[in-house]
Amino acid sequence: MRTVFVNPERCIGCLQCEFACAVEHSRTRDPVLALFEEPAPRKRIHVSAGPLPNTSFPNRCRHCDPAPCQQVCPTGAIWRDQVEDVVLVDEAKCIACAMCAIVCPFDVLTYYPLADGANGRAVAVKCDGCIDRLRAGSVPACVETCKVGALEFGDINEITAAGRRRETAVILAAATNAELAQPVPETVASWRVLGAAAANVGRAGGVL
Amino acid sequence: MTAMDRDDKSSNGFEKLTMPADAQAMLAVARADGITTVWDRLAAQQPQCGYCAMGVSCRNCAMGPCRVDPFGEGPQKGVCGADADLIVARNLGRTIAAGSSAHSDHGRDILEVFNATARGETTGYRIADEQKLRHLAGEWGVETAQRPVEEIARDLAAAMFEDFGSCKSELGFVDRAPDQRRAVWARLGLTPRGIDRENVEMLHRTHMGVDSDYANVLLHGLRTSLADGWGGSMIATELSDVMFGTPTPVMSMVNLGTLRADHVNVALHGHNPLLSDVIVQAAEDPELVALARQRGAAGINLVGLCCTGNELLMRKGVPMAGNHLIQELVIMTGALEAMVVDYQCIMPSVTDVARCFHTVVISTSDKAKFPGAAHMPFDPHHGLEIGKEIIRRAIEAYPNRNPDRVRIPAEPVPMMAGFSVEAILGALGGTPEPLVKAIADGSIRGAVGVVGCNNPKITQDYAHVQLTRRLIENDILVVVTGCAAVANGKAGQMVPEAAALAGPGLSAVCRALGIPPVLHMGSCVDNTRILVLAAALAEHLGVDISQLPLAGAAPEWYSEKAVAIGAYVVASGITTVLGVQPPIFGSRNVVNLLADGLEGVVGAKFAVEPDPEKAAVIIRRHIEAKRRGLGLPFVDPETIHEPEVARRGGVVAAGQQR
Repeated sequence: MRTVFVNPERCIGCLQCEFACAVEHSRTRDPVLALFEEPAPRKRIHVSAGPLPNTSFPNRCRHCDPAPCQQVCPTGAIWRDQVEDVVLVDEAKCIACAMCAIVCPFDVLTYYPLADGANGRAVAVKCDGCIDRLRAGSVPACVETCKVGALEFGDINEITAAGRRRETAVILAAATNAELAQPVPETVASWRVLGAAAANVGRAGGVL
Repeated sequence: MTAMDRDDKSSNGFEKLTMPADAQAMLAVARADGITTVWDRLAAQQPQCGYCAMGVSCRNCAMGPCRVDPFGEGPQKGVCGADADLIVARNLGRTIAAGSSAHSDHGRDILEVFNATARGETTGYRIADEQKLRHLAGEWGVETAQRPVEEIARDLAAAMFEDFGSCKSELGFVDRAPDQRRAVWARLGLTPRGIDRENVEMLHRTHMGVDSDYANVLLHGLRTSLADGWGGSMIATELSDVMFGTPTPVMSMVNLGTLRADHVNVALHGHNPLLSDVIVQAAEDPELVALARQRGAAGINLVGLCCTGNELLMRKGVPMAGNHLIQELVIMTGALEAMVVDYQCIMPSVTDVARCFHTVVISTSDKAKFPGAAHMPFDPHHGLEIGKEIIRRAIEAYPNRNPDRVRIPAEPVPMMAGFSVEAILGALGGTPEPLVKAIADGSIRGAVGVVGCNNPKITQDYAHVQLTRRLIENDILVVVTGCAAVANGKAGQMVPEAAALAGPGLSAVCRALGIPPVLHMGSCVDNTRILVLAAALAEHLGVDISQLPLAGAAPEWYSEKAVAIGAYVVASGITTVLGVQPPIFGSRNVVNLLADGLEGVVGAKFAVEPDPEKAAVIIRRHIEAKRRGLGLPFVDPETIHEPEVARRGGVVAAGQQR
């Protein structure tokens, strides 16, 4: 099973995945011209701020199987492409009833006219896995644009296996007191710690 | 969800955004009326880009934009080959140049009007402090004997104009620094040569393919900042004193309670005192006062905001409505007829808020226009006439006020201002000796400049007030400028009675002299007064500034100007603690240089600590270490810790409206 895996500790909130996603789903697929299109192309990945400053999470359709949205869609507009294993919306069949949004565990549904839509109606807009790119053998636009490794595309079992190897190395290093590069560099850690400290100033006591 | 909608268990939910009660009350108005504020926009901006926050994005050329992966796995160099160290250093260098340019362009504007006044070409301006003019002329090698004041002023102006050019090898005010400090600058190539020159050279160096050594870029950053501190800003301060008067201690009032329900209220906002000073004259014009009465008001009430407000408070005792984050809230009182703005730190949003009320925003500088504002360009040749026109415009807005929407949320708090170096030395009897003595015997441990802005990332005023309180409690004299001064004023820490809040040694000195333990030294360009005072103390003791028990702090800084100030304070030998992290954390080398390596180079360094309790400990330890270095009685720095009560008790300020 291939998926876009999220390493939240790597996300630095630059929003470049959101921009790349909107451009990928524009008519022109050009980062300048896309800005002037009507209707505006819409992002399908959403970076939300975390509870502390300088933390964030890129949220997108997980392409569940079975997919709750597909199960409740009254018109059969939501379907699964069996080859690329992604959940898609048929614009013509969508009646914008929002049932899919109601049941989605990740709240990733939005409703807008499609940039290359046929009828100009607002319909369910969600991640299509960049299916054109998948068919061409390349990775989704969000993954391609992410330079910090917060978004990773590949076989889920291989990705988690790599993660286990990293975790194991950390655990054994701690156990044997060996030198080991931190999973997050000191510089990035300082940035997060100081951001959190600023947000907490005065909140534990003092005059407040 | 906006910042203000967030669930909060405390009484009104606004305490974590802003400390003073007047601001909290106005945020309640903003929520009720659906008006967006700076805090909402900060919330809407989350998450903010980590590349930019860590300084590792570069858009200096069209091979880019580029960014370096701070985790070390993605791209580590921009297209040109610049690594994280160089990208961070170039970005910081440009930030310093922008801040230094802002101050220095302000200084040039003052100098131009000074020059025109010397030539008799202005209305509403004069040489208010002839003694200071003669003293400055002496410093600058301008002949003063048997010469009319206008002639001296013309020659002084000409000499100062040269500081903006590239004919000189060092700026005129560099001589004010102690010999030891000038030697450090000379050895490192930091001596500022020309105000505009250093700024332009920074833009040159940070162009692709010029300076590719991050340390070399940063060293020039220090020189650029020194051209601000000992150049553009210092000219602004000194000539403003000459034209508008050197400040002397004065009592006034602060917070939104300075607005008067039955008056035409005019807020003077920005940084440059040129126009606002003549507006003060215009507001006293009997015809205009009569017009205000005719329109149903009891009179004309001027209030200050930000550093234009500080300039007027220092010299004329004009009441202060508030600091940076008050600028939107003051409009929401519904009692503000006009906000007159010059430049710097004026949020573009003020015209949006003004549209919800009868308030007219009047822009006055051709450099700073605001869509939605009435533009009444300032011209020193007709200064007073324009000032009157602006007041007339404010009066005409008064009948548009909706009395049902007037909400003035607090009683004003008294504060003392006006502590120029001359005034401080005057209070000491004309010599720094009594202060030096108090420091030497340990009744005063040292002195700290708490300066800088407000930043919505930090609870407004809290860090300023809490840090200041901890320092004065521990017998450290605090001098303040800019937003930090206004924060302390609102908290009631700037009246002579606040000596009761200070430790026993400082308290006794304050009582003897009748001064507060927190001294207002002016606007943010007036941080140069702190440099001059530090230099005077160093000269008196025959040591370098970096040997003195001094420190700087910018607990809530936000602006490029603050970066320039921090850099020139450190380059002048004073270690500085920042409360908000600068965008440098993408480069370990730059962080190490600024937070450690600089100590061995200029004898001072930066620290970053958002928590004012911890910042106070850092500063107290630093001061005791400096005392040890001078052979003065000291407390072992390692024994200094955060007080237990810090987390429980805290500042319930004398004048704080709860």
